[in-house]
Formats: sequence, structure tokens, C-alpha cells
Amino acid sequence: MATKIQIARPTKIELARLKRRHKLALRIQKIVKDRLSILVMEFIQMIKESARLRSRLYTEMAEAHTSFSMTAGYHGYETLKKELIGRDYAFKVHAGTRNVAGVKIPLFERVEEVSAGKDIHNPLDHSSHMEHTQALSQRCLETLVELAELQRSLELLGIEINKVKRINNALEYVVIPGLDVTIKYLNMKFEERDREEAARLKRVKLLIEQREAYAY
Amino acid sequence: MPTDNDPDKALEGYLIDELKSVNAHVPRKRRSLNELLAMNDPHVLCSDGTEHHFRKKELAYLSEIIEQDESDLLLLPIILEVRSEHGDITIQSRHGIEAKVISKIIGMPLLFRDNSVKVFRSQINALRSVLKTTSQYVFI
Repeated sequence: MATKIQIARPTKIELARLKRRHKLALRIQKIVKDRLSILVMEFIQMIKESARLRSRLYTEMAEAHTSFSMTAGYHGYETLKKELIGRDYAFKVHAGTRNVAGVKIPLFERVEEVSAGKDIHNPLDHSSHMEHTQALSQRCLETLVELAELQRSLELLGIEINKVKRINNALEYVVIPGLDVTIKYLNMKFEERDREEAARLKRVKLLIEQREAYAY
Repeated sequence: MPTDNDPDKALEGYLIDELKSVNAHVPRKRRSLNELLAMNDPHVLCSDGTEHHFRKKELAYLSEIIEQDESDLLLLPIILEVRSEHGDITIQSRHGIEAKVISKIIGMPLLFRDNSVKVFRSQINALRSVLKTTSQYVFI
């Protein structure tokens, strides 16, 4: 049951103010509801993408692990470690922010950098196994960065969705019904007042007519 | 002589603030595709002072699907106007370039009328999956 908003005096000014507030609340409630639906849509899309990325990451990591094991078996662990240290590989990520329906979420983008060609390796210890392992590890790293962005974005979107849902529910089930009840109450009060006024005027008119009749 | 209670005043103040903040993320000034491609760190400044960054891959994709001379006319981010009364989303497109881009991404022809294009909510998913950073919502 919606509760009536406490008002100081039942006046027409108060009624006009409440009607204005009611119109504003309705307009905002529609906008908030739209925003909520858009946020939920983005959230679901991100979840699907996150699931796809995770699946891809697991596949890539399994492949990288297999390749790593094969390379280690072919060259030996010590040679493999030496080759990995000797490689001049810079992995740079540009971090920024982007906005999705008012929610600030992170944006990570890999910065492509050409290697300076300072790779130090012994050609006798190097093979296509090594190259393949390095390529697979790089791909895993790139997928991890994408997944990190999505994971944080999902957390932030989830927090915002909860907030917006509470605002929407408060407007829809508390504020607007409260305003409706108060406006109805004030309208009833004014109608009652008008009826009383009309009845009083009739009695006064009757009294005046009776007095005039006696005078004659 | 008090004519309004404090909780009511707070409510009215809150409602007005909510209306102001719901579109605070809209960019103050949009930039053309050419401008953004030339930048090292492509971004625009939003009304609330934050920065909205673009992915270079998306900008490169957009430059592939439109003509060279249209790159100066395409302003980014593309604004998707969400109106409460209608079930669709409107995109303002002065020169028809946004309409061309969206039509290409969705894979179906769109009706371009009165410098605007209407897109249905079911098509928005396809659009947003490609233009993640180069499109933004505005609530009207």
C-alpha cells in the first residue's frame, strides 16, 4: 500500500508542485528502465564473449604446454631457458578507459612493436619447435589481456546494474505510487471543499430570500 | 512559512540530479575518423571530464568500409539515441555515412529518412559487437 507523502497544507500550489514532481518522476523512471535494459544487454553480451575467450584460452594453453614439453624434450630444459632469456621480446599494453551507458570500464590494447632484432640465440640450439612455442605463449598472453579487460568490465557492470535496479524499483514501487496517492488525496480534499462551499452558498441564498420575503 | 518538507525537497533534488547524470558520459565534442586515425592515443573528452578511448582496430575497420573522402565527415563515437516511447534506437546521420556503416555491419539495408536511421533493439547486439568503442548510448 503506497504511503501518502507528508504535506504541510493541502493547497492548490502544493497540488501543482506534486503534479510536476510526478511528471518528472515518471520521465526519469522510463529513462532509468531503458538504461537498465541496455546495461543488462551489454552484460549478457560480455558474458558470452568471456565464455568464448576462456574456452579459447584453455585450448591455447593446452597447445602451448604440449609444445613446451616437446621443445623441452627435444632441446632440454636448460637450453630452452637460455633461449627464452635471450629473446628480446617486448609485450606492451596500452591501458585506457571507455564508457558503456555511463559505466567507466577498462580498455586494454596490445601495442604492436617491431623487435629491434637483438635476439641472441645459438642457431644450433634454435629450431622451429622453439619458434612455435614462443608464438603459442605470445597468443596465450594476448588472450589473457583480453580476458582481464572483460573480467573487470563484468564486475563494474554488475555493480552498476544492481544500483540502477534499486533506483528503478524505488521509483516504480515507492515514489510514483506515493505521489499518486497524495495527488488523489488532495483532489478529494478540494472536491469536498468545493461541495461544502456550494452547499453553504445555497443556504445563504435561501436565508437571503427568506429575509427579503419577510421584509415585504 | 514552510510549504515543503525536507525529505520532499531532497527527493526533487535527487530526481533532477539523476536526469543530469544519466547522460553525463556523452562526449563534449566528437572527432572525425581521420583525426582519430592520426592520433597516437585516439580518445574524446566526455561531459563529466572522463576520457573515452577508441580501439585502433575498430578505427582501421571503419576506414576500410568507407571511402577516403568520407573519413572526414564520419564523426565518432556514433551516438545511439535510446527513446523511452519507442522500441527502436535512432542514429542521426547528416551525410548518410553512419547509415552506410551500420547497414554494412548489420548486413541489411536501412531506411534513411530525415537525416536519421532507425535500428531495432534486436539489431543492436550485432552493431555493438563490432563497434564497441566507436558507438555510445544517449538516453532521451
